[in-house]
Amino acid sequence: AAEPWPENAALYQQLKDEQILLSDNASSLAVQAFLQMCNLPIRVVCRANAEYMSPSGKVPFIHVGNQVVSELGPIVQFVKAKGHSLSDGLDEVQKAEMKAYMELVNNMLLTAELYLQWCDDVTVEEITYPRYGSPYPWPLNRILSYQKQWEVKRKMKAIGWAGKTLEQVLEDVDQCCQALSQRLGTQPYFFNKQPTELDALVFGHLFTILTTQLITDELSEKVKNYSNLTAFCRRIEQQYFEGHDKDSSTIAARSAKRSLLR
Amino acid sequence: PLGDIPVLISEDKVISQPAKILNFLRKQKYNADYELSAKQGADTLAYIALLEEKLLPALLHTFWIEAENYCSVTKPWFASRIAFPLSLYLPGKMSREALNRILLTKGGPPLYSLTEVEAQIYRDAKECLNLLSKRLGTSQFFFGDTPTTLDAFVFGFLAPIYKVCFPRVQLQEHLKQLPNLCRFCDDILTCYFRLSVSGHSSAGQNTADANLQKLTQLVNKESNLIEKMDDNLRKSPQHPPRKLTTLKLAAGGEESSPFNRLSP
Repeated sequence: AAEPWPENAALYQQLKDEQILLSDNASSLAVQAFLQMCNLPIRVVCRANAEYMSPSGKVPFIHVGNQVVSELGPIVQFVKAKGHSLSDGLDEVQKAEMKAYMELVNNMLLTAELYLQWCDDVTVEEITYPRYGSPYPWPLNRILSYQKQWEVKRKMKAIGWAGKTLEQVLEDVDQCCQALSQRLGTQPYFFNKQPTELDALVFGHLFTILTTQLITDELSEKVKNYSNLTAFCRRIEQQYFEGHDKDSSTIAARSAKRSLLR
Repeated sequence: PLGDIPVLISEDKVISQPAKILNFLRKQKYNADYELSAKQGADTLAYIALLEEKLLPALLHTFWIEAENYCSVTKPWFASRIAFPLSLYLPGKMSREALNRILLTKGGPPLYSLTEVEAQIYRDAKECLNLLSKRLGTSQFFFGDTPTTLDAFVFGFLAPIYKVCFPRVQLQEHLKQLPNLCRFCDDILTCYFRLSVSGHSSAGQNTADANLQKLTQLVNKESNLIEKMDDNLRKSPQHPPRKLTTLKLAAGGEESSPFNRLSP
């Protein structure tokens, strides 16, 4: 863990234009943002079977030296062990708050994204099924999609989200955005001057929601209601993503390019 | 009625799940959060999410899945309060549901066996307790001197851990090492539940019974607690006067009807 960060560190996710879904894209972007904020170079590698390569079954995961670490939480700890941390300047109470807010985002936003893409019938038929299995031939693509949907639905049932309607889910998203907006206030980042992993996580989810075209715009409308959140996303994008990779673009261009409708 | 507790039955409406109950009470103009700023309201949501994510799995495990605890405390206690033959079926169902929930949300790879999942959830729970303790610090409640929704939630999670005598008590021991959280629980118990805390330490032969009784009241009274907090708030001078008049009129009718009981 004392080795320096190698040059060829790679982040694996699914195929960007055809396969990746809303929730995975959000998680991946959050990790990318976090690493940019730490000033650690990373290459993004797109593989159709990224989910299966990952040690925990979830994307994104990073391959650094001879270690593989997946998901934002473990990645933050791994990076900390290497000596880079964004939250060292926070006191104990602030760290507790940061953890609480990260759980809120995971609990509400991520679950809402999963609900939308796997439990809302229209979205599932028109977007998720075609995208999720797109690299594979029929009937494998259908089988994989059904399997994944069954898994997600089981999980939703266990935590009590299966009985929710889309309106209720959108209301929860709105509540979550309101909380984030109130916490952010007029500050540039959640803990004033310096970005932390919470900023990366929130950016990942909100930016993806804002720039992904779904059947309806209701989800992104909920986020757009809060102007300080959209300004926050734009600011982080400009500061950390522009000029860093070849196909970085502004929010407007992104939404045209990454339309999820086929 | 739906197999879900806690349940609030008010006039002819039946509502389960803490979040919905809170919403309902709020619409009836009972609200413990008037004094909070927007940011504190946001903090409340965040901390509740933290509790549900980190502490709840361990709590479920301690009550329902840990074999010794389940057989000697939880199952007899539930069975004693539910009519036969449901008492044979319902505790088993709740246990299975708890296990399901834990495995589905926490049990993915790289944790492959139940013992590894257990180790992870207890680690998370202890970290969560530490975080709560740091956040509480030396103040009486989480947001100053008056209790709020967050205090009710935290109390609901902590009190069963703190008070119930289980054979396997690793979470309780950890909690006892955090004196400000213990003090917080005791304070709320004495203020709002009028249970003699001394009842807990009474007679050895009745300890089990006393604990079971206490647990029944604790587990079922989360909504009741919030109501009582609102009572206090209504009586306090800072409460907006406009609300006081409407509440007084409704107080007579409303207070008697909402009550809790174990389902079904």
